[in-house]
This record gives sequence, structure tokens and C-alpha cells, in this order.
Amino acid sequence: MDFFLSLVIAGACVGSVYALVAVGLNLTFWTTKTLNFGQGAVMMLCAISTALLTAQGLSNGVAIITGVAIVALVGVIVERIAVRPALKTAGSMGWVIATLGFGILLQGITSKFFGSQAIPFPEVLFTVQDVIDIGGQNISLQYVSIFVVSILIIVVLEALTRYTVLGTAIRGTAQDMELAIVQGLPVNLIVSGSFVLSSIMAGIAGILTAQISGTVDPAFGFELVLMGFVAAVLGGMGSSAGALIGGIIVGIIGKLVGGYISTAAEHGIAFALLIMMLALRPEGFFGRAEVTKA
Amino acid sequence: MTSSKSYSSLTLIAAALLLASPVASAQPTIKLGMTTALTGPFNEFGEGNRRGVVLAIDEWNKKGGINGRKIELAEAMDDQLVPDKAVQNMRRILDNKDIVAIIAPAGSGPSLATMDMLEADGRPTCNPLAQSPSVIYPKGKDQPPRKNVVSMAITNESEANRLGQILGKQYKNIGVIHESTAYGVTGAELVKKSIAATNPAAKVQIESYNQRSQDMTSQVARLQRSQVDAILVVGLGADFAVIRKNMSRANVKVPLFGSTGAVTAPYLEGAGDLAIGTRSVSPDAFGKRPLSAYAQNFVDQYRAAHGTDRWYGSDAANPQISMAAIVGNAYDCAVVLLDAIRRAGSTEPAAVIAALNQTKGLAGIAVPSITLTAQIHEAFKPEDLGLFEINKSAAGALYLKPVVE
Repeated sequence: MDFFLSLVIAGACVGSVYALVAVGLNLTFWTTKTLNFGQGAVMMLCAISTALLTAQGLSNGVAIITGVAIVALVGVIVERIAVRPALKTAGSMGWVIATLGFGILLQGITSKFFGSQAIPFPEVLFTVQDVIDIGGQNISLQYVSIFVVSILIIVVLEALTRYTVLGTAIRGTAQDMELAIVQGLPVNLIVSGSFVLSSIMAGIAGILTAQISGTVDPAFGFELVLMGFVAAVLGGMGSSAGALIGGIIVGIIGKLVGGYISTAAEHGIAFALLIMMLALRPEGFFGRAEVTKA
Repeated sequence: MTSSKSYSSLTLIAAALLLASPVASAQPTIKLGMTTALTGPFNEFGEGNRRGVVLAIDEWNKKGGINGRKIELAEAMDDQLVPDKAVQNMRRILDNKDIVAIIAPAGSGPSLATMDMLEADGRPTCNPLAQSPSVIYPKGKDQPPRKNVVSMAITNESEANRLGQILGKQYKNIGVIHESTAYGVTGAELVKKSIAATNPAAKVQIESYNQRSQDMTSQVARLQRSQVDAILVVGLGADFAVIRKNMSRANVKVPLFGSTGAVTAPYLEGAGDLAIGTRSVSPDAFGKRPLSAYAQNFVDQYRAAHGTDRWYGSDAANPQISMAAIVGNAYDCAVVLLDAIRRAGSTEPAAVIAALNQTKGLAGIAVPSITLTAQIHEAFKPEDLGLFEINKSAAGALYLKPVVE
């Protein structure tokens, strides 16, 4: 039981970070039907900025806020230079390559200026030795805090999009951009805002993941964005609840496969799930099948 | 008349200088080439290797080079430990026919990717770091080695035998976590064999991970469930730090061992104080006190060139043990190649290889006494490894301290 629980807890924790990444991907999918495949580099940039700033003596809080502010700005830039021009061309190849390329560029710039070595990441939410005893089972407070923070952010974001004017505007733009323009909504600003929010989600996911690994390097984040993508597809593209459930499912199943079957299969199982879902239910658990009127 | 004589004398002197200097400067340099991980997440190995080679070349040049010819590292290319990049770089190095000897990449993956090219080319090559046995003995240890490739690297076999003996003698149920590369897979298999040879009753459970995994709960939980009484990690430093942190979260408190590649700066930086108590085998050149005169000279030269940096460590009096396996090995490679060129009196591959095969008792850093024959192209011996444990100094620095077995 201890074994099972430890795998489920670690899986739920890691899965909640995947969910955060998936929600970030969903945000840009709502407004522009695009995904920022450079999100991995955004996670890396936020985590490395935070690590470097704390190493310079800044408090954890100030370093995190600065790191998140940096990637929020990156969100504006990626929308302006990688996505907006690519959307003028037909098909999805343009923005896929442009966002991927932007991510690689960010990695390269970071390597050039800060080196390629792994940098120790500070313990911002408890230490690895902090544990809580639940039913005789030692549970890491770092895992618990990562799970709680991720869920909290997703819930707040969902409430914002459902119950605020801003959220209504975002949903309006998502449903019909042309009508939103006719109605006088600042669509460009909303689209930019969705990329900013998406980058902030990625940045926070980066900081939370760096808590688990303890180090960050320029290649950090690439695998996470793939896992976030799997979570988003599994839950249903565009659905926050789906992203949350999808992320946690991917996390827990990965750990259970790693624990009970083979650690070598831990990462592969996520992609097996992705293939199965695309074959059996392409719209995911919570997504709706797209209907195109003739 | 006087001035005419003076002019004549000056003309003669100038002519003599002109005649003499072109002879000296026309002597082509002896060119070495290397591709290694100068940047990227594993550049502690590649950049360390480059520094070792440059240090050896500078020393030989200060002594006048070889037969009046200066030595030059003509190509030092960056492959980031990526096999594809290493192959491209090696192609360019081999296309330069002026390069007479080559230092192989800093890892088993890129080395294995380039070895067939190097063997086909035939120029003398030295492997500083790749531990996979196939690098030198592609058809097995009972078959002849690649003719033109020698190795100063810790061999997987030496490391595994040493670790297997230590673990097998002390523990009954041992967990091994290894990275899913040639280095990790071969290392884990060899350790398992060595443990079985030392203590046939000992149980060994093996788990694997992909490099740069951000969470290793499954691996640690599986070993915890099996109630292992010691864990060995065969991998690299940053991943080892993740494993150590996972062990702490899971409250796994068994003795922890790491391979030489695992107990490096990224492990100490990533795991911090959690690294204290971790044990590892490593070349013991810098673990002995006093240092041998040869090692002391190397240490002094390195410190003069680079100071107390990431490779040397912060304590000027006590260089990091790992420097022998990361910088010292490449230094040994350059020295063994240059020594063979000197003895051969030629840069012709066949002559240099013949001289390499007659290397006997040459002083080195990672390998204190280098001996090679036509059959034995791996200079490293199990007795060159010492057992070390990570300690914390009064100044708060983490360092490897020799363990008396």
C-alpha cells in the first residue's frame, strides 16, 4: 500500500504540473487555435532566471516574480513575431515551426549568456526533507505544495474565464473572432493577453518542476511540454477540467507503470495513451467534436 | 670604407638570420585534433578534456616541442556529447591531413559513433573518457583491439569490478539505478557480474532512467519496496542529484554509491549537503598525500593556468579528486601520443602506432604508470582506482575524502 500510495502521490504531483502546462497550451488554443511549442523554453527561462536571481542574493519571492515577469514579456514577443505573422498563411505548419524555432532560439540565447550547465535551483516551497505523516505514510511537503499550487492556479484561472468580463471576452474571441471584432472587442489585446497568461502558466510550471529536480539547464522543459500536450489532448483540447484530469492521469499512470511494470516504460506510456486517445476519441475526455457547417 | 665594411657585416648577419629563421619557422607544427563537449550540459567533461590536452601541449612546447617542432591543437571542435555532431566534426578533422593524432570525444555515445571512421582512417587516436569496452575492443576483450586507438579512460570493467567488490563484500541486497545509455547499461551489467563473483548470494535489482528525467520516484520506490541495503547509481551528476533528492523525499536512508561519472560537480551543486556520505571510486592520483612529484607538477601547472576553478575546486591545497578523471585523463592522452611521436621520430601513423604499442611505465595522472602493448590498448588498471566519500570541510565546501578500506 505504501508503495502504491507513494507512486500515486508522486504521479499526481507531477501530473498537476503537466496540467498547468496543458492549461497554458489551451489558453492560446482558445484565442488563435495555435499551440506554443516553445513553452518548454519559456519554462526553462523562468526557472533559470529565478535560480540566477536568487544566487545573486534576491529573495525567493522577488526572484520568482521577476522570472514570471520576464516570461510574461516573452509571451507578448512570441505572439508578435512567431504566431501573428504565421497565422496570415494557410495551414498550421507556419506557427508550429515558428513557435518551435522561437523556443530553440531562447535555449540558444540562454546557453550563450548563462552557460549550458545545470544550475542548482533554490528550495522555494519547503525542503526535500520536509514530510508530513498521513496514515503512517511519509508524504513530501514539496509534492503536496506543488499539487496544491497547481490546482489552485487552474481553479482561479477557470473562475476568471467563466465569471469575469475578461473571461467572457476571451471566450467570445475564442468562439468567433470576426464577430468579436465587429462587437468592438480589443481582439489583438485579448490574443496577446492569452499568450502572456500561457507563458505565466508555463513559467510557474517550470518553477514547480525545478523544485522536484533541483537543477535547471537550457534543455529543461522540452519533455514537460510534450507531457503537457499529451495531457491537453487526453483531457480534450481547450478544456481546463480536461487538462487537469488529463495531466493527473498521465502523471499517475506513468508512475504506476514505472513502479509496477518497468521504469524504462514510464515515459513511453504517455505517448501510448496519446495514440490510443487519438484513435478512439480524438476530442478527448472533455472536448467536443468539432462540427463544420458547409 | 668603414661604413662599407659595416654594411657588409650587417648584410651578412641579416642574410644569416634570414637563412636561419625560415628553417626554424618552416618547421611545420605537430598538429593534434579533437572533438568534444566544449559546451552543453556535459561540458564539464569536454572542456576539462580540452584543458588537459592544452596543458600537456604547453608543457611539451616549453621543453622545445618534438625534435624542434612545436605542437599545436589545430582543431578543438564542440560536439556537446551529441553523436551526430561528433561524427560531423570528426569528418572535418580527418579531412585535415596535417593532423597527425586525435583525441576521441568525451563519452561512449559520440566515441562509438566515430570509432569506425577513426579505425578506417588509421591515424593514432587516444580515448580519454569513454568507458564502454566496445570503444577499444569492438569484437570483445578476447579479440585484438582497434589497431590505432588506445585508451586512458577508466574502463567500465575496472570501475564495475571495484564497485562490485566493495558492494558485494558489504551488502546482501543491492539496488542499481543506471542511465539508459551505453555507459549506463554496460556499467550496470558489469557491476552485477562483479557482485555475483564477489558474493554469489547477494541480490541485485537493476532500474533504469532516461538522462535528464526530472523525477525518479518510480525507480527509488521500487528499490525501497525491495528493501535494498545499498544503492549504486551509474550515470551523470545532474541526474544523480535528482535521484538523491528523491531518496530523501522517500526517506530512503541506505548507503549511496555513485560511478565516477556521477560524482562530479553537477551532483555536488545539485544535491548540496544531501551529497555528504555518498561514496564513489575514482582515480586516486589526487587522493594520496603527499602527491607524487608528477601529480604535483600537473596540479601546479593547472592552477597557474586556470586558478581554483570548477574543475580544480576552491581549495588550492587539495584539488578535486574528480579532476584526475576529467582533466588528467586527457592530459595523459596527449602525453602518450606525443611521447610515441617522439620515440617514433616520425608522424607516420604506422610508426607512431608501433611506438604506442611499446609504451612502458610512462608517468601519467589518471593512469600513474602507462603501459601499452599490441594487445593491451587500455592503460587503466583496477588498482588505479581509490574509494572516496563526500565530506564537508570546515569552510563548508564539499570534497571527496579517501576511505581506508
